[in-house]
Amino acid sequence: MLLVLLKRLGQTVFVLFGISVMVFLVFLATPGTDPTSRIAGKNASPQTIERVRHEYGFDRPLPVQYATMMKKLFITQDLASYANRGELVVPELAKAAPITLSLAAGAAVIWVSVSICMGTVAAAFRNTWIDRTLMMIGLVGLSIPVFWLGQVANLITQARFHDTWLFSWVPGPGYIPFSESPLGWFRALVIPWCTLAVLFIGLYARILRADLVSVMDEDFMRTARAKGLSPLRVLLVHGLRTSMISFISMFGMDFAQLIGGGALLTEVVFGLGGVGRLTYQAMGALDLPLIMASVMYSAVFVVLANALVDVIYLVLDPRVRDGR
Amino acid sequence: MQQGRILFLTGLLAATCAHADTPAPPSPGGVLRLAGTTSAGTLDPQISYMHVTYQVEAIVYDGLTTFPKTPGPADRHAIPDLADAIPTPQDNGLTYRFHLRPGIRFSNGHPVTAEDVAASMRRLFRVNSPTAGPYYSHIVGGDACLRDPEHCTLAGGVIADNATGTVTFHLTHPDSEFMDRLAFQHASILPADTPAHDMGNTAPIGTGPYRIVSYEPTSSMVLERNPYFQQWDAEAQPAGYPDSIHYTFGLDPESEVTAVENGQFDWMEGVPLDRQAEVGRRFAPQVRITDSLNVFYAALNVNEPPFNNLLARQALNYAVNRKAIVIYGGGPTVSVPACQMLPQGSPGFEPSCLYTKGATFEHPAQQWQAPDLEKARDLIRRSGTAGQHVTIIAPSAAGHSAVATDLRDTLTDLGYIASVRTISPVAEFAYIQNSDNKIQIGLTGWSADYPAASSFLQTLFSCATFVPHSDNSVNISQFCNHDIDALMQRAATVAVTDRAAGDTLWAEVSRRLMEQAPAVPLDQARSVSLLSNRVKSDVATAIYGAVFSQFRVR
Repeated sequence: MLLVLLKRLGQTVFVLFGISVMVFLVFLATPGTDPTSRIAGKNASPQTIERVRHEYGFDRPLPVQYATMMKKLFITQDLASYANRGELVVPELAKAAPITLSLAAGAAVIWVSVSICMGTVAAAFRNTWIDRTLMMIGLVGLSIPVFWLGQVANLITQARFHDTWLFSWVPGPGYIPFSESPLGWFRALVIPWCTLAVLFIGLYARILRADLVSVMDEDFMRTARAKGLSPLRVLLVHGLRTSMISFISMFGMDFAQLIGGGALLTEVVFGLGGVGRLTYQAMGALDLPLIMASVMYSAVFVVLANALVDVIYLVLDPRVRDGR
Repeated sequence: MQQGRILFLTGLLAATCAHADTPAPPSPGGVLRLAGTTSAGTLDPQISYMHVTYQVEAIVYDGLTTFPKTPGPADRHAIPDLADAIPTPQDNGLTYRFHLRPGIRFSNGHPVTAEDVAASMRRLFRVNSPTAGPYYSHIVGGDACLRDPEHCTLAGGVIADNATGTVTFHLTHPDSEFMDRLAFQHASILPADTPAHDMGNTAPIGTGPYRIVSYEPTSSMVLERNPYFQQWDAEAQPAGYPDSIHYTFGLDPESEVTAVENGQFDWMEGVPLDRQAEVGRRFAPQVRITDSLNVFYAALNVNEPPFNNLLARQALNYAVNRKAIVIYGGGPTVSVPACQMLPQGSPGFEPSCLYTKGATFEHPAQQWQAPDLEKARDLIRRSGTAGQHVTIIAPSAAGHSAVATDLRDTLTDLGYIASVRTISPVAEFAYIQNSDNKIQIGLTGWSADYPAASSFLQTLFSCATFVPHSDNSVNISQFCNHDIDALMQRAATVAVTDRAAGDTLWAEVSRRLMEQAPAVPLDQARSVSLLSNRVKSDVATAIYGAVFSQFRVR
């Protein structure tokens, strides 16, 4: 077990190192991205530019600059943004993380519950009009770009029908912390949750249906039916559990990716100051420290989620467990 | 759709002018809620070079001089602020003696002293202020401070006398814009003990009617009243109306418009083009259109073919259809076709359009009429540059891409093989400045720090502002003409004693520069803001934009 953990840790460090080197080099190799000129300000004199270059260490060899940035990011945690010079990127990410977590968790609850219902019902009624209708709805959800859906949701809830009883409860764009007002938190997030969940509902419902249909003819399902179990019990207890393996695997990756900043478009459209929007702002301002920090943050989550999914496999699928 | 927008906004121009009344006496109260797309960056007024900060900190900090915070024309020069009068130049314009107004206090209660002024001038060198070189290095000792900021003393350059409250400046050469430069935010007066480093998210102590009490760069800023503020001049630094000002950052412009329409915020600036018709139709009394001193232009690299050929540069100036550019910019109410690099309303501006149908260099038109493609094609034929490849570098923003595409079509019409390359807006400005990138045409814009012809002509086209191999070389055209340089120098010198004569010379510089056509001036934009119906009255100026202290909310 210890060996597995160490192996996973080694993989994580290797992945983070590779990604950070790539981000660093690509950024510096792009013409026009030298932070010196932006920090010094437009029309700054050559003397001022040289001073800024020296003070920020941009005149030092690249490996030294890289090592300094990594030290400030991971050890001293005092890496400051180049765009907002008083802003330390690690606390900034720590402030943004709960917003992203709130968004992703709420959306996950919706998409997991709705897609399980949709997928199971579609499988139970396979090849009937119910199945086809549900899968068509799923396909529509899958096809709608989230930024468009978000803008339309905003148009309906914030503009066209904001003054009506239907949506007058929707607060303005932005995040309301749970600690400040649980009801406000819910109201601010419910539309973004639904918007973000739509895409995943379509995808997950289709995957689950396909898996359920494929396990229907498996030996263990026949055995369960032969034992006289009710069709509902066979479907939910025996079929669903096995079919959830791809579902869980995808969920782990998708959720980790969302926590790591993948809900960027939803956050931008709804003005939620999460990790995704922070990354978006960092890219817009070509702010290397913040780009680096958010990429590292995202990578950590994806690697950790991979590990977690492996553990859940063991619990869910006896074949994996026994095979080890 | 486009036509509709133009009509709506034209219709409300009269309404937008009506708000520009002299403010009523203060009746304080309320919270003013502002929405912004980008954060303000560092709050240090001696370092920050962003419009957001300039606008907000205009009511937090003061200089010895300032620009009027009341409605009026764009070309108004600096007026006294912490100083009680604009001093008369002595020693042929080399010496200025300021006397501080008595009784002014910082927001920590400490009185403003002459030593604070001297320390602030030293600090702007110590913190590597962007304008330390171009605006203040001609103070005696300034050059030494630029070379060695840590040991900056400005000895012999700024002499403070706390007993009499006087500060004397000695310059190495006369400067007709020195009062304007002291009014710029980098010359804000801070307490002498303000740390000599970028203060980042912590706002230094100021003297204005408000102080910044909290700041999260990616989300919000809160301003509250400065308890020690007493109005000393209603034009320089009027007392504020709202009790506090809350600025929220990070919303996209579409959401900002909707939020202001719903009354969730009270002000947003930069109404997107696709929402202008809507706000013009439904919220006309709440729309504000503000003049500002800016120019959007295509810089032509005079050191790279084909625009190292004067005839090719002139041809493109004749051929560009400014009517289309104005439409891309939102229509004639919010965009004015530009014929020269000096924007309308700027000191020294005289209507003169060399490159329009029916105009000649001897008899310029008053304003742009139509492109002269016949003359343009003739010039291209004479230049022998047809058939060459031309790449336009443009910021990857919707409006700029449309203009770049239009320019590409114009170049194709003229016989070039033209293409467009778009780059992230943040990187583009640095990219086109660096001569190593050998650009041919770069689309960009420039706005004034203070109302002066030199802010455009000398800054963008003098030999001194072309720095090869540097991302900080604002002379993007790489233009250097020693005759025009000498004329600019003469205009600056004459203006020290006779501003009107100086302005006449700057108008001559502008004409001579356009004859050389180092750029294609495209248009001058007006800023479109939207107010909520809670705002009873407001004030905007060309330099600061909205003056938030003068917003009265219900």
